[in-house]
Amino acid sequence: MLKALARKSHTLERFLEGWSLFYENTVGRIGLFLLLFFALMAVCSYIPPLIDPMYHPMTGVDPEVFRSTPPSPTHWLGTDNIGRDLLSQLLTGARIAFLVGITAAFMSIVFGTLIGMIAGYAGKVLDSLLMRFADMIMVMPSLLVVLLLSSLFGQLNIWIIVLLISLFRWPGIARVIRAQTLSLKQRPFIDMARVAGASHLRIVFRHILPNVLPMALLYMTFRVTSAIIVEAALAFLGFGDPNTVSWGMMLQWVWKTGHMFQAPYWLLPPGICISLITLSFYMMGRAMEEVLDPRLRKEEQRI
Amino acid sequence: MTLRRLILRRSLEILVIFFLILSGLFFLFHLAPGDPVSRMVDPSMSPEDAELLVSQLGLDQPLWLRYLYYLKNFCTGDFGISFHYGRPVVEVIGERLPNTILLFTTSIILSALAGISWGKLVAWYKGKRVDTVVTITSLVCHTLFLPWIALLFIWVFAYKIGGFPLNGMISPELWSDPASGWFVKALDILHHMLLPLLTLSIIHVGEYLLIMRSSMLETLSEDYILTARAKGLSEKRIRNRHAGPNASLPVVTNVGLSLAFSINGGALTETVFTWPGIGRELIFAVSNNDYPLALASFLFISIVVLVANLVVDVLYAYLDPRIRY
Repeated sequence: MLKALARKSHTLERFLEGWSLFYENTVGRIGLFLLLFFALMAVCSYIPPLIDPMYHPMTGVDPEVFRSTPPSPTHWLGTDNIGRDLLSQLLTGARIAFLVGITAAFMSIVFGTLIGMIAGYAGKVLDSLLMRFADMIMVMPSLLVVLLLSSLFGQLNIWIIVLLISLFRWPGIARVIRAQTLSLKQRPFIDMARVAGASHLRIVFRHILPNVLPMALLYMTFRVTSAIIVEAALAFLGFGDPNTVSWGMMLQWVWKTGHMFQAPYWLLPPGICISLITLSFYMMGRAMEEVLDPRLRKEEQRI
Repeated sequence: MTLRRLILRRSLEILVIFFLILSGLFFLFHLAPGDPVSRMVDPSMSPEDAELLVSQLGLDQPLWLRYLYYLKNFCTGDFGISFHYGRPVVEVIGERLPNTILLFTTSIILSALAGISWGKLVAWYKGKRVDTVVTITSLVCHTLFLPWIALLFIWVFAYKIGGFPLNGMISPELWSDPASGWFVKALDILHHMLLPLLTLSIIHVGEYLLIMRSSMLETLSEDYILTARAKGLSEKRIRNRHAGPNASLPVVTNVGLSLAFSINGGALTETVFTWPGIGRELIFAVSNNDYPLALASFLFISIVVLVANLVVDVLYAYLDPRIRY
């Protein structure tokens, strides 16, 4: 009991140490605050439809508006060409971005970590087979391959998009995790576990997984950015889920309805949001990288 | 290992990967729900023509024979007829491919050179204000949403300020005029290419600059730089001749690794600027359910990525003799 508590407090200590290093990092702090802002937006997205059904991002149409209007007291960011409120669409977009980014990134790190650990631990034929397969997926442009698949399977809904993105974004993680597994395998504690009679599954999941998890989490933040970008690009090209409002979708509407020269209030916000949310995850990732990799920290002190 | 053997080995690997992609696409197209015949034969064709095409493409054969037909057709350059253009797919691709290669390679080379030379300078002034400003700017540039920045550039440079064409690759009236020589035509293409090039490069420069900066910082702490300083070499010489070339190796690696991702951006840029390239053709074909064209465009894009990968690998081996173990 006491031992378990001590171990727990050790983990907590390590976490707190990492956290303070992260928070001292300006880039990480900016990223975190940006992210909190977007999280707030996502939470607020539930409010406008409650005030008045005409603020519903998808179906709510202002009966007095027949074309795109600039910002006004009733519509703080203006409306689109059929009278839907842009602010409420923008808020909902934050929710979709988080949903897509985090689930797709989580799934791709699950695939990547599993495949990387198996390849690194098993070695030999299985390793080279899995890695050649990873190479093949790595040279395929993820956006275009998802597009091609959508032509085969028809209209995509948001969950299929998430699944497809994660299916094509795991090889990078798998390579890193494989390299880590290879070096872990040489360490004495793995031999000891084997001598103690641990099965392969137990070694992989109890002894290797906890050691590669920080790296996997780091890669998850980078994958979030690429998942958000791929989803936004798909929606922008007209292959998004027609039942959701995402920022890419908003850009597609402004582009396709030919409002990009007349309605800067419509063109600017979604693009700024996509760019900033990817920036915030990217900044967090870079800061986390410095926390996890002491070599990068030293670089800051050196000069 | 000599350079030639390295090229040979990498080419073989690339051939294997391409064969896997080729086969993977075949099985996807033929085993996905729906009728493969209707995917490859234009619904508006006359029944006799359709029958001829079916037997030509081997679509009336069992699966394994169809696969052999497919491989044979690929080798002979026969990809069927595009539904939209009503012409052989290979002709359409042949017209689009050079445009993509022109835009794509120019932007990759320009942004790599700019990233390397600016990253080198920024690392030199580490901790100064210019370093902070440039680093943050590159971070922002790196995460800009490409289609949006493309729309923004069209809006600002082509619409508000003017002086740049809104879209396309050539001005038709200039090209139909027999009086205009090749130089005028080349200038016209360059004029149309500037905005797409700027869009595509701005995304990459940030990334390459950041990599160059951190790699340069690492190199500057090496012992041989200290030796160079002790020898009394000028700072400029140390930066450009001793540290720079070694530090630029990770940038080259990264160009290769991010090629597949860059071609996504290329396709988006082509679409927004209506640049008649192969990426735009793929997106267009997918929207119109023009399966033969979509399939072939994807295959050729894969070839572009793979060949570019090979070029980057060879360049790396050329720059870093240690690779040729």
